[in-house]
Amino acid sequence: MERMVRTRRSPPSSGEGPFTERVSGFCLLSRLIAVALCVAAVSACGTDMPEANTAQLVDDNGRPVDVTRPVSRIVSLAPSVTEILFTLGVGDRVVGRTRWCDAPPEVLEVTSVGDGLEPNVEVILAQHPDLVVFYSAVSNEPAIAQIESLGIRTVSVRTDRLTDLVRATKLLGQVTGTTDRADSLVAAFEQAIAELEDSRPTDSIPNALILTWDNPPIIIGRGSFLNEVVELAGARNVFDDVDRPSLRVSIEAIVERDPDLVLVTSDSSLTNRVDRAEWRAVPAIRERRFFLVMGNEYSRPSFRAPNAILRLRAALEEWR
Amino acid sequence: MVRWITLGTVAIVAIAIGLIAGPADVSVSAVWDALLGGEETTAAVIVRELRLPRALLAFLVGGSLAVTGAALQALVRNPLADPYLLGLSGGAGLGAVAAIVLEFGSTWSVPIAALAGALLAIVLVYRLAIVSGSVLDARILLLAGVVVGAFASSLMGAILALSPAQQVRNAFLWILGGFDGASWQALAIFAAYAIVPLAVIYRFNRPLDLLALGEEPAQFLGADIERLKRVLYVSASLLTAAAVSVSGVIGFVGLVVPHAIRLVWGHLHRSLLPAAFLLGGTLLVLADAVARTAFAPLTLPVGVVTALIGVPVFVVLVRKWAT
Repeated sequence: MERMVRTRRSPPSSGEGPFTERVSGFCLLSRLIAVALCVAAVSACGTDMPEANTAQLVDDNGRPVDVTRPVSRIVSLAPSVTEILFTLGVGDRVVGRTRWCDAPPEVLEVTSVGDGLEPNVEVILAQHPDLVVFYSAVSNEPAIAQIESLGIRTVSVRTDRLTDLVRATKLLGQVTGTTDRADSLVAAFEQAIAELEDSRPTDSIPNALILTWDNPPIIIGRGSFLNEVVELAGARNVFDDVDRPSLRVSIEAIVERDPDLVLVTSDSSLTNRVDRAEWRAVPAIRERRFFLVMGNEYSRPSFRAPNAILRLRAALEEWR
Repeated sequence: MVRWITLGTVAIVAIAIGLIAGPADVSVSAVWDALLGGEETTAAVIVRELRLPRALLAFLVGGSLAVTGAALQALVRNPLADPYLLGLSGGAGLGAVAAIVLEFGSTWSVPIAALAGALLAIVLVYRLAIVSGSVLDARILLLAGVVVGAFASSLMGAILALSPAQQVRNAFLWILGGFDGASWQALAIFAAYAIVPLAVIYRFNRPLDLLALGEEPAQFLGADIERLKRVLYVSASLLTAAAVSVSGVIGFVGLVVPHAIRLVWGHLHRSLLPAAFLLGGTLLVLADAVARTAFAPLTLPVGVVTALIGVPVFVVLVRKWAT
């Protein structure tokens, strides 16, 4: 509670009025809501303002990022971000994570603050953070406004593709004062990816369906990093013409594209559930040409991606 | 007679469109060849194993929902009644969501869980609505349906709020409805099941006419209305439960198709029920064809399309006939 009150010494310029030093939980909540509404109103008016300084570092929401003050208590609201922070060597400064964060294993010792999308602001504040890292999504805007109004810094990053990983790592390196580590990680990663590009098999590329759900059928398109993983591993995503992370399709569209194999990344019971009459129209499923690519390195972009790609490539070569 | 021929022709044309339209490029002659037998080509597999059972299942489900809606509108004497009014969508949705989130991994777990949820809702609503011995009060039936549905929906909301984002999306897409689970097997099971409640509802077409006038007039005219109400309610509910379990919650068909038929065709259930069956089936087959092709290879939830097609058609009908 002490820190929470302390942060109130620098009130936002929203004209909220004088503060009392002791604030009950209920009162705090109602104030948070009032402040959030004010901030939302102010920021709604100010969205047309041009960037003050083009050299200013901005996050993936286009908001300026302050890198002058050190950070010592970070709440991470995305599994990919948590993993980046631990890889940067600042895992000891992470004081809050989402309940979906599971890599590296030691993150499980960090306190969970629940969901990362539309998070619980009170639980985040209870960890007394000086930096909260959000996944860049519209639904997080109210929480960002609430937390910023208390003088706590926020950074929003989008981490959907391998290039996003590079950008997010550089940004988080600057914010946490670990730019050297970030630069060397990024350099090694980009070199590994470049080598994978060069060594990519070029003949008899199999066509892969990346299936995540059976009814309705949901598959991975070009907007996901899994599309890159599959391409670098030496296969082609049969739905790489659709620029979305995932999409709902009909079985008929899958039959027409006639995949050679089916990658199942999330849930191995999917291979049981597609044991149905309508799915037998897809030869790769009828003949059960499944590749189970398990492990959380296939569920988010991370520095383990080159390894994940090599493993998948080895499995594909063995199959061929 | 002309009307029946028109409606039958429209239904056959709709099924033909369902066979010809789709994200995969299959020519009309290839569709014809596939129907007449022919080789086991990709096009033939798409038409025979996917499009034909899908179109027929959509027709059967659409027809069942429309018949159920017509019967329930007469039963509770409320023009807003639809097959999901009586808590079934909530119960079925809860069962399906539980099966999806708890990752019951077997082939039929989601439809069976949805059916179980719907049946549980039926039992609860029925128990609540039976007051003073064996009298099924239509007003209490409506209220019981709404509260049971609301309770099940809240439980569903709680489960979803605690689930990973991906499962929430999967569950919502299932609830919004679609025929991705259609196969000859699913069609055969649904048809075998649906024939009994459909026949029962049709057999009571005359008492339904009386009931639509009001319970007292119906009693004076010699209908055993208590038994009638119970049988109709149970038949309609069992039919809807099966429809939900194969295709999710598809709104609009059961609400508006009976009204459209009444506007054009009159109120006698002897012709209203079969006409509603044909029109409901037609609408759903067309809606499914649009859902599969409009943004191919992406698929829309079929329940979204039924309203997008059905509302303008219904508005035109009301303007033309209601004056």
